[in-house]
Amino acid sequence: MTTLATQDVDPAASGGGAVGLHPVRRRHRRRLTGTLTPWLFLAPALLIFLLFKYIPMAEGIRLSLFNVRPFLGDLWVGLDNYIAVLTDERFQSALGRTLILAFGQTVGSMVLGFALALLLEGSARSLWFVRSAVFLPVVAATAVVGEIWRLLYFPADEGFLNSVLAWFGIGAQPFLDSPDTALWSVMGVGIWKGAPYDMVIILAGLAGIDRQLYESSAIDGATTLQRLRHVTLPALRPVITILLTLAAIRGLRVFTEVYVLTGGGPAGSTDVWMTRVFSLGFERNELGVASAGSVILFLVTLLLTLLVQYYRRRKEAV
Amino acid sequence: MSTGVAQRCDTALGWGSGRVGMVGRAAMCVAALLVFCGPLITVFSGAFDHSPDPTKLSLLPNNPSTINFEVAGERGIWGYLVNSLVIAGGGLLLQVSVSVFAAYALARKKFRAQALVMVAVLTTMMLPEEVIAIPLSLTIGQLGLKGTLLGVILPLGAWGFSIFVMTEFMKEIPVELEEAAKVDGASELRIFAQIVVPLCRPALGVVAVFGFTMIWDQYLLPLIVATEPADYTLTVALASLRSDDQVGPGVVLAGALLALVPSLLVYLSLQKSFLRGITSGAVKG
Amino acid sequence: MSGLRRSAAVLAAASLLAAGCGTGAPQGDPNAPLEVWTRSLDDTAKVYEKIFADFTAKTGIKIDYKPVYNDFDKRMQERAASKDLPDLVITDVSALGVYQSQGMATEIDRAGFAGGADLVERAWGNAKGSDGKYYGVPISTQAQATFIRKDWREKLGKPVPTTWAELVDLAKAFTTGDPDGNGQSDTYGMLVPGSTDRGYLAWWASSYIWQAGGDILAQDGGKYRVAVDSPGTVAAVEWLRGMFCDTVAGGRPVVQPGALTTITNDAHTFFEQGKAGIYLTGPYMMGRFDKAPGKDKYEVIASPKGPNGSAVLGEGENMYLMAGSARPADQKKLAEFLVSPDAQKAGMQGVPRPVVRLPVNSKVDVNAVYNDPRWSTVAKVYADSARPFPNVPNFQPFRQQTAETLNALFARCGIDIRGELGKLAANLNKELKAQGIAK
Repeated sequence: MTTLATQDVDPAASGGGAVGLHPVRRRHRRRLTGTLTPWLFLAPALLIFLLFKYIPMAEGIRLSLFNVRPFLGDLWVGLDNYIAVLTDERFQSALGRTLILAFGQTVGSMVLGFALALLLEGSARSLWFVRSAVFLPVVAATAVVGEIWRLLYFPADEGFLNSVLAWFGIGAQPFLDSPDTALWSVMGVGIWKGAPYDMVIILAGLAGIDRQLYESSAIDGATTLQRLRHVTLPALRPVITILLTLAAIRGLRVFTEVYVLTGGGPAGSTDVWMTRVFSLGFERNELGVASAGSVILFLVTLLLTLLVQYYRRRKEAV
Repeated sequence: MSTGVAQRCDTALGWGSGRVGMVGRAAMCVAALLVFCGPLITVFSGAFDHSPDPTKLSLLPNNPSTINFEVAGERGIWGYLVNSLVIAGGGLLLQVSVSVFAAYALARKKFRAQALVMVAVLTTMMLPEEVIAIPLSLTIGQLGLKGTLLGVILPLGAWGFSIFVMTEFMKEIPVELEEAAKVDGASELRIFAQIVVPLCRPALGVVAVFGFTMIWDQYLLPLIVATEPADYTLTVALASLRSDDQVGPGVVLAGALLALVPSLLVYLSLQKSFLRGITSGAVKG
Repeated sequence: MSGLRRSAAVLAAASLLAAGCGTGAPQGDPNAPLEVWTRSLDDTAKVYEKIFADFTAKTGIKIDYKPVYNDFDKRMQERAASKDLPDLVITDVSALGVYQSQGMATEIDRAGFAGGADLVERAWGNAKGSDGKYYGVPISTQAQATFIRKDWREKLGKPVPTTWAELVDLAKAFTTGDPDGNGQSDTYGMLVPGSTDRGYLAWWASSYIWQAGGDILAQDGGKYRVAVDSPGTVAAVEWLRGMFCDTVAGGRPVVQPGALTTITNDAHTFFEQGKAGIYLTGPYMMGRFDKAPGKDKYEVIASPKGPNGSAVLGEGENMYLMAGSARPADQKKLAEFLVSPDAQKAGMQGVPRPVVRLPVNSKVDVNAVYNDPRWSTVAKVYADSARPFPNVPNFQPFRQQTAETLNALFARCGIDIRGELGKLAANLNKELKAQGIAK
């Protein structure tokens, strides 16, 4: 069946079936299809991106220069929206919290993911089962995760997590309800959802480590801790570096987790860059300022990503 | 495997088979399961509880009942589930195909502007979705896709992350196979379909699991594409159940359960190829 | 490079082609049915459906009805951005400022509005813009009422509260007296939807602020000044903070835990499940609370008197005749129909809750239609002491910032109330100036 189908497409796709053409023209045509082929393969992706990403983004950039009022006519304000964002006290403090959250979630997920990977490394079937089960938070929809944790975090004695803490003799915590603990609680959920992902990637890294290195270090009489430090960690360094940087960049755009858990409250203590932009755009109808806020975030992430890519490429080249 | 030394060198921590070590490890595995799966189980118990107490979630329903699903059903939850499934199915199929095509060009071809295309793909991953929502809705309107499932599916059809993963994976496939096929006179499409794609199966598992999760998570897109409540998806319906002042937390949890189960099923059915894909280095970033 | 240029050309052509194929029915088609949006869930949507069917039967004008509930504002904004608004929108009074200032709702000629003379003057006030002109027509009004667990109160032998002091006393008793008799201290006095989401907390607190003689903004001629740092407001906030911060027996305050992140809908569950016993909310919740905790278990009363009376938030819903419609005459016809006595009565019939809470038409008798003393109480509260938020061009930023400051003050019991309210006042002043209505 497949042979038939491919025979059908064969000549057209490769250009090679054009028997009888003049040799020069034939060569020319092959070169042309040669340059065109990658673009044909890329076309669907690029078309979708153009329509649904680039054009809207360009429109967003345009809006960021206006006071947006669809029925009264937009007013050109130049860079005023950007100035408004950059000088706004609440944006500045949101930036601080965004960085804390991005950093905490990234490092926390990494540490916990590393511990999980060490615990669950191995080929036994039971370990396979635990690994699969532990990964589930990663695939659960964020809206569902938010729903679950808002309930688990219930801030009275009888709340689920507080009852668990009570077994260990720890008093009731307010979690999402107090400005002092809300950001940490949000971070906890981020780590819970992020750690299993890191675990899986680190497990892949662990699988790639040459066993002979372990054996020789065992012969040298190294303790497990020493081996971990001198053999395992160095071997994992590339994986960890990439995971860290990418997660940190993704962390800057953190939105959904915060939005479903606290909406930025209480007392603005979990208000991050994107929740700020969102409430400006949709709750206060200041589409221009909101667009400026997101353009800034976009530029920062773009810059960071390009830096990381550049750094990676230079290291690969060495 | 038979000697203690060889076994101790099997894992980074050198887990042995001593009884103390085994018990300790098993205890920690149980703890990990409780921490990472326990919270998900509370959704099951809450959804099947007649009137779950928001202050005291439990692992088993106190007063088992399916009333929550009946109420959710009255609010059209099954229709939303169907919408979500159609979008996830169609979107995933499109997304994976588009990624495989694009990755083939990026990984197996050399052409001008390749680096530029890579950056362009990267850029799409950095756009804050929440704010391009309004301009995006204008585009979707101009294309006449408002109120159609296609209006949700098409924008999800290309995802930078999965193009990236596929590209990295395809780069690892040895060129020799392809060259041999070329010598035999195989066409471009044939090489692509019969040699490269089958070798990518583990990476397809990775891309499918993450792609499904990403599509299933969409909230703003289906919301702005919808022209009437019948167009809603499960995530949108979940938000409206949450703000529905006539229903309690049990119904919301019933909705959450319906939103949770498909992602679990998809993951569990693909997990073999998924984990293999990741172990063979599909995800480098 | 030629390859790139050619592909770019192909892509551009393809996108143009695709853009050209757009088919969305644009606003302005005089043959399309009137598109009507209401902020409704399924139950109230059914009531509207019936009323609109009556309208179509009577006039032959077809209606394309779309109930929208969550993210109503977001979706409206999105339609505004595409300059394709529905023809008529029924939603909160609080949308007036934005619709007016953004030019989304058209002006109503009150004199030329058939049946307009029958509408209650206080209701018309809900539709008056900051410039004194009308940008909507009221369809329903209501006043906030205080819901109290009657069985708990009687069990503890407390009177129906009529003053702030009695209210606090009752709240304390509910928190410490184990009114549900389960032997655990897991009940709370005051139920507060204290989330800053959409400015909920300010919504709830405004009634108490007025009752103490304070205000968020005070009208001064045609202009406004900030009153959020006035002595009355300070007193109200101090009193409210006591409920969040002063602990009664067992180290708990009288307010339910998690109050500062509780949105209204989560709050309802607390009353429903017997976690909290005093709740200032809208009368439309009776439908749900009649099922649980049960009709005989709670009572609906006017707000207990504060130092400066018992004013409560009285809002409602307006109809907005949206800009850009091809059929202004039909828009108006529908609006006139919806305030007619028959349509108003039909709107009061919904189960479990009506779409018209209190009728705006003075020819409709609340007592006769509902035959429920609790609704009569609400009607009396509305007539005696209901107050709307001021008609500034956009009240949302004021409500939002006030909610955020109050949330912070209730969250951190140590910080200085006067100082924080002073800072808030400065910010609100900036906003007043930005909206061009500062005195």
